This record gives sequence, C-alpha cells and structure tokens, in this order.
Amino acid sequence: MEAILPLSATVSPVTTRPAAAAEPTVPSIWLPLSFIVTGLLALLTAVGWMIAQPDLLTTYHYNQNIIALTHLVVLGWICSVVIGATYQLVPVALETKLYSERLAKCQFVFHLVGFVGMVWMFKTWNMKQVGHFGSILGLGAGLFIYNLARTLLRVQKWNIVATALASSLAWFTLSILAGLSIAAGKCSYDSTEGAAVASGVRTLIAGLRSMGAFMSRFDAISAMHAHAHLGLIGLFTMLVVGVSYKLVPMFTLSEIQNRRRAGLSIALLNAGLLGAFLSILLRSPFKFVFGMVVCAALGMYGWEIAAVLKARKRAALDWGVRSFITALCLLAPLGLLGAVLAWPRLPLNVFTGQLENLYGFLGAFGFVTLAIIGMLHKIVPFLAWFKTYSPHVGRFRVPTLAALYSEHLQRIGYWTWLTGLAAAGAGILLQSDVVARLGVIALSFTLLMLAVNIAKILSHVLQPKLSPLPGRAKSS
Amino acid sequence: MKTEFLDLDVREFEPPQPLMKTLEAVASLPQGVTLRLHTRWRPALLYAELEKRGFTSQSQEQPDGSYLTTIRHS
Repeated sequence: MEAILPLSATVSPVTTRPAAAAEPTVPSIWLPLSFIVTGLLALLTAVGWMIAQPDLLTTYHYNQNIIALTHLVVLGWICSVVIGATYQLVPVALETKLYSERLAKCQFVFHLVGFVGMVWMFKTWNMKQVGHFGSILGLGAGLFIYNLARTLLRVQKWNIVATALASSLAWFTLSILAGLSIAAGKCSYDSTEGAAVASGVRTLIAGLRSMGAFMSRFDAISAMHAHAHLGLIGLFTMLVVGVSYKLVPMFTLSEIQNRRRAGLSIALLNAGLLGAFLSILLRSPFKFVFGMVVCAALGMYGWEIAAVLKARKRAALDWGVRSFITALCLLAPLGLLGAVLAWPRLPLNVFTGQLENLYGFLGAFGFVTLAIIGMLHKIVPFLAWFKTYSPHVGRFRVPTLAALYSEHLQRIGYWTWLTGLAAAGAGILLQSDVVARLGVIALSFTLLMLAVNIAKILSHVLQPKLSPLPGRAKSS
Repeated sequence: MKTEFLDLDVREFEPPQPLMKTLEAVASLPQGVTLRLHTRWRPALLYAELEKRGFTSQSQEQPDGSYLTTIRHS
C-alpha cells in the first residue's frame, strides 16, 4: 500500500547509482510500434491466406506455399513483434539503455525488405532469390544481435534474464545461418571458369557451392525441422522464458521464488536444444532423449512460474496475464506431441505428417502467438500511455492504463482464440479443410478484437484525453 | 539546517502506477523537502521525466534488491 510519511527509515545501500541524465532510457515508442504493427499486418495476411487456402494446414508441410506461409508467420509476425518488444523491454528488464536506436531503425528496413522478399520467393520457389532476401534479413538480424550484445555489455548486474537473452541471440544467429545454408544447398551455381568476374564474387560463389555440397549430406526435411526448432525454441521460447522471469513477477506483484531453479531451466533448455538440433539434423534416435531434456527444462520453468504466481500479492490476474499463462500451459500438450514425434520407432505415415503439422501449428499459434497477444495487451498500452500521458501526470488528470482499451473485447478475443485453436487443430488431424477453415475464422475474430483495441490505444497517442485536476485551472 | 523527508512506497503497485504516484507526489513537493521513493526495481523511466520537471534524483539498491531513490528540487 502507498505510504507518504514524514519519517525516515534506516537503509543500507549496497550500490549507489546516480540517476541518468535527461536522455531517454527507452527508445522512442515509434521504434517498437513499427515492428509491432508490421507484425500484426503479417499475421492478418497469414490468417487471411489460411482462410482462403485451409489445405495449407491439412496437407503435409513440405511444399512451397506452406514454407512461404510459415516464414510469413515466423519472420513477419513472430519475429517482428518479438524484435520490437525486445527493443522496448530489454532496457527495462536489464535496467540499462539500448546501445543504438539508429541501428534498430536500420534493422527495421532490412527486416521488412528481407522477410517480404523471402515469403514471395518461397512462394515462387526461387531459392536463389530466397538466399538474396534472406541475406538482407540476416544483415538486419546481425544489426539486432550486435545492438543487443552491446546493450548486454552495459549490464551492471548479470542475471537470468540477461543469460536467457544472450542465449536467444546465439540461437538466433545459428538459426539464420542454418536457414541460409539450407537455401545455399538448394541452389545451382553457374561456373565462373573463364568468366570476367571479380575475385571476391568468385570466392563467394565457391563458398556457396561448398556450403551447398555440405548441406546435400543432410536429409532436406530433417535440416528444415532442425532449423525450425532453432528458431521456435532457441529464439522465441528462450526469450519468453527469460523475459517472463522479469515480467510475470512485475505484473503479478511477486518475486522469483527459486533463482537456482530458474537458472537451471535456462541451462537445460540450452543443453536440450543443442542436442535436439544435432540429433534432428542427423536423424539420430537420440532426438527423443534431447526432446525430454527440453521438456524437463520447460517443466522446471513451469514449476517456477507456478511458484511465482502462488506467491503473488495481486489476487486477480488481468486478461493479458491470463493469455500469457494459458500460452505457457499449452507447452504441456506441445511437449507431449514433441515427445511422440521424437519417438524413434514412430511409423512414418499420413497421420504422423498431420501430427507434425499440428505440432508446428500449436507451437506457432498456440504457444508463441497467444503469449505474444497477452503481452501486447500489456506492452502497447504502456508504450502509448508513457508517450502520451507521463509528461502530464501531476499536472492534469490522466486516464489509467486499463482505460486505454476494452477488456471486454480482450476477453472475447481470448475465448475465440482458444476455440479457433481447438477447431483448427481438429481440422488438421481430421484433414478437414472445412473444420480447419472454421477454426482459422475464429482466430481471425480474435485479431479483429486485437486490431480494434490497438486502434483504441493508438487513438490516445493521436488525441490525448486530458482533463483538469480537481481544484486546478487548466494551464499549459 | 535539518533536512525534511517524505517517504513514498510504491512497491505494491503494478506499472505504470509507481511512475504516476511519484510524479503526482513531486508535483506538490515543497522546496527543501526530499522525497524518498521506495520501488521494487530501478525506476529507469522516471529519471528523464524528473529532470525535465526540475528535480535531481539518485538511486541506491537495497539489500533486498529493491531501490531507494532520493528526489529533490534542483
């Protein structure tokens, strides 16, 4: 409870940190918002595409349209929002300043051009152009990784959030390199013998040819699955785990209950993912063992989050936190499905292929997207409120955070998303285009609710709703 | 000269309420009085806003991991 007392209390300072100068600690809200709005447009496009072509969910996933759709979802939606939110959250979570906002703005351009081009070229199955656009995206990702790495070097007190962030940056790097290597392996290269090309180009082509030859040693589908796990577990799951160790206690007024357990969850996730990546790539039966290590890591994480929630001082959970916690609960069926698919003697038939589709769908839309939607309802209102109203606090009456959006729409969106997940999941397993389409239509209702709420929130940035404080005349 | 203190404890509030309550408190902070702000985390978003409003601030981490920030008129 708030207390203003004309008394002093004895404190024992451990460290003294002078307050920062007037330079902002967090970047301009337009930086994360650019990525977030781009991500939402990509998600709307992806959902529209699935409504138009539900067979993208109900047929085996190794074809150009599904790979294009997957990259639209993963790079266009998930990556865009995660990168934007990271630029906003990392300075808060690590209590430091972002190294360079200019680099982040440059990355936005590379990211946008890169993923749009990649999706388009995957659709036309022009792997050489996929490689070119992937390199542009990779250049942007390099700026992101460099920017975050330099930010991490500023951290005065290393903690589990920083460890998780550093780990996710390493996995992101590996994921992009793996993706570009797969693309290099699918290209044919013209001979440069006798051609008038610069030596640098000749060396580059020779390098790509060698990479292509190296990648031809691996099974194409195994390489694709290994690459997907690097991205979905290494980047997104690791970031969700790390950042939630800061945000869940912050939003529920609780504390981390066992730092050793939290640290162990991250260490196990790293170890399990390394083993899973190699064993999936090499088609080794050990992928089941490493899959179990990943499940153990997520179990440890769930245990810690449950303890944090149990110790919380805020009894009621808002719908943003509920969505996030529901997404974490979906890790349980996802882990079970992963364990089934990693079973070495699993027969390879049509149903197994549908289980793989369900696994990917549940990972991308059940776990990651639901977690993001929950957190967006915390992050976007805060960004808008901070930008619009923090300069006026104490001078005018300003709206509360909850007044910026409709909780009613958020609640409807939560239930339509779960309904859509269940229906689309059933459609995938039954190979029914009709059921899958109905499920995705339900998902699109959630996006409509989200879009209305985001528009309501952003309307405050464009037209602030200030009123005079009681007993004070309005002044500038 | 004796220094007067006001203590504001916002550790039990979810963001952005700690920021709101602090800025509301400094709006009526008399000259010569120091506000001692107790927060769960380092109030990183607060510093620039305080400086714009003509206040200086200094944060100290406490043994329990919380922060004590002293705020006074420049």
